[in-house]
Amino acid sequence: MNTRGVKHKDFGGLDNGDDRAAFLNHAYKPLSQFVLDDTFREFEFRQYLFACQSKLLFKLNRPVEVASRGYSFIISYSKALSRHENKLPFCFREVWIISACLALINATVSRYDGGLVTPDVEKEFFRLQGDLYSLSRVKFMRLAYLIGYGMDIEKSPANSAALSMLSWPRPAVWPSVPPDASTRVAAKEKLLQSSPKAKHFGIQRKPLPLEPSSLLREANRRRASLSAGNIFELFDGQHNLTPKDGPGADGSPMTPPPNKIPVSSMSRTNSGPVHFENSSLIRSPVDRPMKLSEVHVAAEHALNATISDPDLLKALSSVHDFELKYLDLTKGAAENYNRSWWKRHGVVLDGEIAAVCYRHGNYDLAAKSYEKVCALYAGEGWQNLLAEVLPNLAECQKILNDHAGYLASCVKLLSLDKGLFLVQERQAFESEVVRLAHSEMKHPVPLDVSSLITFSGNPGPPLELCDGDPGTLSVTVWSGFPDEISLESLTLTLIATFSADEGVKVIKSSSALVLKPGRNDVTLPLPPQRPGSYVLGVLTGQIGNLRFRSHSYSRGGPPDSDDFMSFEKPIRPVLKVSKPRPLVDLSAAISSALLMNEAQWVGLIVRPIDYSLKGAILHIDTGPGLKIEESHMIEMESCNEAFEGFGQIRNSNNISTDNSSTGGGGYERLPLIDGKLKLPDWASNLTSVLWLPVRAIDDRLLMGTSAVISQRQNIVDGMRTIALKLEFGVSHNQTFERTVAVHFTYPLYVSTRVSDKCKDGTLLLQVVLHSQVKATLTICDAWMDLQGGFVHVGKDDGRPTPGFFPLSICPSSRAGIMFCIRLGSTTNGDESELLKSHSILNIRYRISGDRALGAHSPMVHDGQDASTGSRELLFKSAIVLQRPVLEPSLAVGFLPLPSDGLRVGKLVSMRWRVERLKDIEGEAPSIHDGEVLYEVDANPENWMIAGRKRGHVSLSLEQGSRIVISVICVPLVAGYVRPPQLGLPDVDVTNISCNPAGPHLICVLPPTLSSSFCIPV
Amino acid sequence: MASTACFVIVSRNDIPIYEAEVGSALKKEEAAHQHQFILHAALDIVQDLAWTTSAMFLKAMDRFSDLVVSVYVTAGTIS
Repeated sequence: MNTRGVKHKDFGGLDNGDDRAAFLNHAYKPLSQFVLDDTFREFEFRQYLFACQSKLLFKLNRPVEVASRGYSFIISYSKALSRHENKLPFCFREVWIISACLALINATVSRYDGGLVTPDVEKEFFRLQGDLYSLSRVKFMRLAYLIGYGMDIEKSPANSAALSMLSWPRPAVWPSVPPDASTRVAAKEKLLQSSPKAKHFGIQRKPLPLEPSSLLREANRRRASLSAGNIFELFDGQHNLTPKDGPGADGSPMTPPPNKIPVSSMSRTNSGPVHFENSSLIRSPVDRPMKLSEVHVAAEHALNATISDPDLLKALSSVHDFELKYLDLTKGAAENYNRSWWKRHGVVLDGEIAAVCYRHGNYDLAAKSYEKVCALYAGEGWQNLLAEVLPNLAECQKILNDHAGYLASCVKLLSLDKGLFLVQERQAFESEVVRLAHSEMKHPVPLDVSSLITFSGNPGPPLELCDGDPGTLSVTVWSGFPDEISLESLTLTLIATFSADEGVKVIKSSSALVLKPGRNDVTLPLPPQRPGSYVLGVLTGQIGNLRFRSHSYSRGGPPDSDDFMSFEKPIRPVLKVSKPRPLVDLSAAISSALLMNEAQWVGLIVRPIDYSLKGAILHIDTGPGLKIEESHMIEMESCNEAFEGFGQIRNSNNISTDNSSTGGGGYERLPLIDGKLKLPDWASNLTSVLWLPVRAIDDRLLMGTSAVISQRQNIVDGMRTIALKLEFGVSHNQTFERTVAVHFTYPLYVSTRVSDKCKDGTLLLQVVLHSQVKATLTICDAWMDLQGGFVHVGKDDGRPTPGFFPLSICPSSRAGIMFCIRLGSTTNGDESELLKSHSILNIRYRISGDRALGAHSPMVHDGQDASTGSRELLFKSAIVLQRPVLEPSLAVGFLPLPSDGLRVGKLVSMRWRVERLKDIEGEAPSIHDGEVLYEVDANPENWMIAGRKRGHVSLSLEQGSRIVISVICVPLVAGYVRPPQLGLPDVDVTNISCNPAGPHLICVLPPTLSSSFCIPV
Repeated sequence: MASTACFVIVSRNDIPIYEAEVGSALKKEEAAHQHQFILHAALDIVQDLAWTTSAMFLKAMDRFSDLVVSVYVTAGTIS
């Protein structure tokens, strides 16, 4: 068009009605007439060409292509309009784009039936529709802002991004205020003075801008430049700032200025009031700077002249109409974007609709739309954008009394990046939560604060507890609240990792607590748990009437610093409860016997097995025949010291495992109160020995120990038991019960025998002493109180040779003492001595032993047990002596057998002679009557007896009377066999003298041969 | 002319995992919001384009006024 020789043609667009796009109407102007008149103009011609093209495409039923090409046409055409903007009416470009977009939408939608198209094409169509709506919406907002409706445009990120990067229109002359516009100016003034909507929660954020630069400044600058003749700036404005349209829209931003006009040093954005003041000095006083309201009135006036479309005029005629049109366009864009699966574009525009709904009090709809926007931003984690919308949603929910939603929104606001809100704003969110929590809620709802409060176990190994033990679990709770928040309660669930059917265990903090912002260490009492491994489950708590819960684990950092993948990390166990195992062992320290009837120390080894016995209480209950010497205190000492030098004991008791770690020992004397004993703290982790002073009681002492009858003392008689019950653990929850057997014995076991019988009637009584204890016994003295019928030979005190003592008996050895006694007169002595049936052996001895080994010297009085041998003890043993029989009253003699020998089957007469040697008293009554009972005893396999085996024979009572008893016998077997024996059952064997004694064995010959068995040959 | 750029790494779940504002222009408070909004909206286009081309670098796939959005999509669909 600038070529030399070609007539310069006007661009066009100055006719009435040109502001309405005609690019789909080829018959809008008579083009042929223009050609003839040579008034051909680019403005009409380009639209005409596209109209023809679209007509053909419509005829081919390709509305999608029309939409696509049409959108491109609008973008490119708007660039052309911007190049000629200074020749065109005010805002001509914006008005044309609006009408073009709407015309294209109407034309394509009416011809689009959605029939035979692929899903991709359908998506593309709706996306184009959305773009067209969106573009017209932006231009419409721009016009509305110019005429003063900016207060009704939501300052959202979407609107701000669209408008603040869209340059102002650049008319040749900024419109001036029409005459007689004072009322309109006043009205605009009033409109502008309406206070901007206060942000919820007192959010102080600067509102997002809707203008690229100050409109007031821009308008006055353009007027001032004109009056100052600063033409350069006009060019600068024309070329340097290529106008741009809406999102995803037109033009290269880097288009260089076609002519090399020097760029003004005055940047457009730097033109401030000062510059304005300076330039106004050379300006006519008529062009005084306009006020903003005047700028709006002037723009409105100019726009009314530009716009020929009555619908658009009406839409801009009032705020109400503007909102209707604005909603119409926004809904159209949102709906089409949603249908094209551009959910982000669509949902954002839903948020703009929500803003209008909110302004009109339609909170329900507003909340629904805001929820969609928030869900999108929150789901994709775009926190900056979420921070813009979420307060609006919260406000809607607050108005709608949606407590659950409102609380959730407040929690979300608190859990956003801390840099997005001021501290005061975050405190306002928290105070809202607290206020609601303490208010009466009709329907209390649990609140999920997973994003705000997180928890984790303490770093390091998990807490390990023994089975049945309570404990204290320490967890770290991170609070995202900006202020301290007091909780009525806090509970945590523990989930067993080993089985799913175990359910969850709930542990609860015992008291209310206050969570500080950031890290909090919370300790929770832990009741006894079943064995296994546990992880933290859910944290729940209560703020006022509000129950909240958090599922979110943190790995030791504050919630926000944690990356979003943290929930995928494996969860570390916080608690391990070990399987039941022995925690302590109680056993007797020694296995050898202690002294019966004496005060003795019984050692009990208390061995903790990797478990503290702090505060443990031992119940001691002695069994029958055993009592605790209450005059003595119980002693306790460490095992190391007690058994120093007795390695074999320690090894045998298997107590060397944990002693090495606890070097320092201890010694303490403890009182026993009501059968209970409190273990000292120093023994908590130490194997120690408890020395109980006891005395085993055996009442049979008075009866004496029968050393003759029983070969060995019965072990069961000396067994005593001590029932022990140990209560230990943190809260005495663990018990260990054991009954310990302790063996008691007398120091000596006595056996006797009469070793010799002298002709003078003196008997040697040998007393053998067997040591029964693991201690050295020293016999200091021994004497015997003889029973009736016996007297000591020689001295009357019944003591052996005095030089014989002291006699030392080592453990497990024996010693002997000899007493010389004889049968004595029973007439001397008192009556009681006559009745005494036992001889009493008295032994005075000392014992030298160690309580760590076994029997030891009894403690004399408290604390002086170790002085061994200082006290003599008395041991008594009863011995029964039997008076020997020296003068038999009957004599039995076996008369000789026939000289021809005995043969099998041959009768033989066995004869015995019984002779009365003297008269005796106290015999069986039959003897007194002259009758003697006899009995022949023979082995029936060897002998067959014919005649009376048992019977009475008469024997005169006179001394020397005799009788022969004969029995016929048949030998049955040959060989040396025992002959039949004659017994006198009624006469004591000691009163029978068998002199000479009968033969032990006799020879029986085989039977003689019988001819009847011989068979002649 | 002072220029500014916003660099964001977006995970496969469309979650921004790194964000940096670079450039010599003075930082404006509202710029962060606008950049986030533009980049977030551009994900709509990325989701369409990423499956229609084998190229990983999508140059100037979206324009918003004088701001140009380019994207590099990794094989794991991290943008």
